[in-house]
Amino acid sequence: MFSLALKNILFYRGRSITTFVLTFFSALMFIVYVALMDGSHGSMLKNALKVYTGAIEIYKKGYREEGGNDYLIEDVASVEKVLSKVEGISDYTSRYETYGLLSSKDRSTAAMVAGIEPQKERKLSELYSTLVSGEYLSENSGNCLYAGVDLVKKLQVKLGDEVSFVGSASDNSFAADLFKLCGTFRTGAFEFDSTAAFLSRSYFDELMYAKNKASYITIRLDDLNKVDAVNEEIIKHLDSQYESVTWKVLMKSMVQAMQVDSIFGYISIVLFFVVIFFVIMIFGFINVSSRVREFGTLRSIGLTRGKIRLLLFNEIFILSTTAILLATPIGAYIAYYFSLHPFVMEGISETYKDYGVVSDEIPLAFNLFTISWNVAVIYLLNFLSIIYPIRYINAFKPVEASHHV
Amino acid sequence: MIQLTDVQKYFYRGESREVHALKNINLTIEKGEFSLLNGPSGCGKTTLLNAIGALDSVDSGKIYLDEKEITTLSEDERTLLRLNEMGFVFQSYNLVPVLSVEENIGFIMKLRGFDDDVIKNRVHEVAELLEIENKLQSLPNTLSGGQQQRVAVARAVASKPKIILADEPTANLDSKNSIALMNMMRRLNEEEGVTILFASHDEYVIESVRRIIKLNDGGIVED
Ligand SMILES: Nc1ncnc2c1ncn2[C@@H]1O[C@H](COP(=O)(O)OP(=O)(O)O)[C@@H](O)[C@H]1O
Ligand SMILES: [Mg+2]
Repeated sequence: MFSLALKNILFYRGRSITTFVLTFFSALMFIVYVALMDGSHGSMLKNALKVYTGAIEIYKKGYREEGGNDYLIEDVASVEKVLSKVEGISDYTSRYETYGLLSSKDRSTAAMVAGIEPQKERKLSELYSTLVSGEYLSENSGNCLYAGVDLVKKLQVKLGDEVSFVGSASDNSFAADLFKLCGTFRTGAFEFDSTAAFLSRSYFDELMYAKNKASYITIRLDDLNKVDAVNEEIIKHLDSQYESVTWKVLMKSMVQAMQVDSIFGYISIVLFFVVIFFVIMIFGFINVSSRVREFGTLRSIGLTRGKIRLLLFNEIFILSTTAILLATPIGAYIAYYFSLHPFVMEGISETYKDYGVVSDEIPLAFNLFTISWNVAVIYLLNFLSIIYPIRYINAFKPVEASHHV
Repeated sequence: MIQLTDVQKYFYRGESREVHALKNINLTIEKGEFSLLNGPSGCGKTTLLNAIGALDSVDSGKIYLDEKEITTLSEDERTLLRLNEMGFVFQSYNLVPVLSVEENIGFIMKLRGFDDDVIKNRVHEVAELLEIENKLQSLPNTLSGGQQQRVAVARAVASKPKIILADEPTANLDSKNSIALMNMMRRLNEEEGVTILFASHDEYVIESVRRIIKLNDGGIVED
């Protein structure tokens, strides 16, 4: 049956080539497309995490919902002591964030002003590496303000200019001061670049009465894949007034956006496969219906319906196996190559800047498990495509079929 | 060897009109016969041949092949019966287009699980008898009609079935090829003792057979 199937494939070349080519390209496309989708999501996340959000962040319960001075971490040192004992954490730092009014001579705007630990912060975010002009902060940079480029544009100030601040301190008392613009940064995330400004905690804490207090503590891990395990470990040791949350929760909206994106991606690929499926099926059907007499003869001289089914399955098996065997290594190689050498898509960071995407580079995800299920889907589709032709041909009585014209 | 008792067959065309294609057929075919179902077009020759060949069902009556009643068999059982006990020759040759002449002739033996050596020897033997031994490597569509039909006969006879059923085997052949084919089939019948039943209204077939069963309008009128 197998060699007869092989001979049929070589004989009915039109159908064989069509099926082969379609299978080859759909397998290849599927593998690359899914790798691209996963890869771009992966890099979006990675970039977004790099910019400002931590893999894990620790809050006093209520802060994320209510915010404000009532829900600050009151004893940073005790929390940091817990963190120093948990394995898998590479760095952490505390931030004191507040919202206030920043004003220049001519303009004023609401802004998120945060006190950070400049040296530690370098390891946790891209604030340092996205410096555009002037200088980054240091422990003794005093009233130096480090602000996003779009915020600076709004205030119409330049390096060295004074910017006044009005807000409320951690005890809800009135706080006001004059800062000096020392540096600007551009992460690429517009929201962030137009509202965020930073000072060294050593200076800001004095103004805000915020010593040993923090809005939250942000944490970086040795291995992002172990985020859930590390988080559990932290929770085990953490005082119950605090909560420890992972990026999956912190970036819920981004994760959801990516899920929606994936769903649309899968829908479009499913539509594509439906088309491919029907084309393969139609070619299979045309082929089989041109062979009704041949199958009738085979049935007449002694092939059972089961043997006919086997024959046609063998045909599609040989065709799809060769196509997939060829497409898989190529697709896998493409995914692998571009996972190491991301390709550059101009403007992607512009489109997704709201999500904190800062790079035009998109690496492909190279994942053998993903590739295997991609291939399995193509296989399955090919086998499904021959079922209708088989039913069609086996519905004939041998006598009818062998006289079919 | 083959015995039919009171076999009836109807074809239903639409809802009202039916064709009584076989009327009360009682017939016995013995081993080694070289016989013909004869009669005008539409009299039921093909229908009767298909019934005997377990290709088609009948509506009542019984058909025995040796001791075995074949009208009650399932579709798959009938298929296996055809494979193991019968050979078929069709009007339009019906060879497998992708297989060479040699593979076509050996096809049924292969399906029945004969050894490759045995198949090869037997294929050469019958190919010689049918004078197609120099065409063994060709594909069917490169042969003339007469040659293709001889390949079909070779395929039918190679596995030594109990009976060969040949429906209008000469209908697509010219007189020279028809005579040659009938002579070869007659020789197969005489030398190998194979039972052959024809359905035909062709004069060359009529001249060549030993027994003529005349049908008219679905019934046997003369034997
Ligand atoms: N599949 C069928 N459906 C309906 N009627 C049929 C069918 N096959 C044969 N018949 C009818 O049965 C009768 C006998 O046909 P057939 O056995 O083919 O005759 P013959 O082979 O002697 O020419 C004819 O009247 C024919 O029209
Ligand atoms: Mg007929």
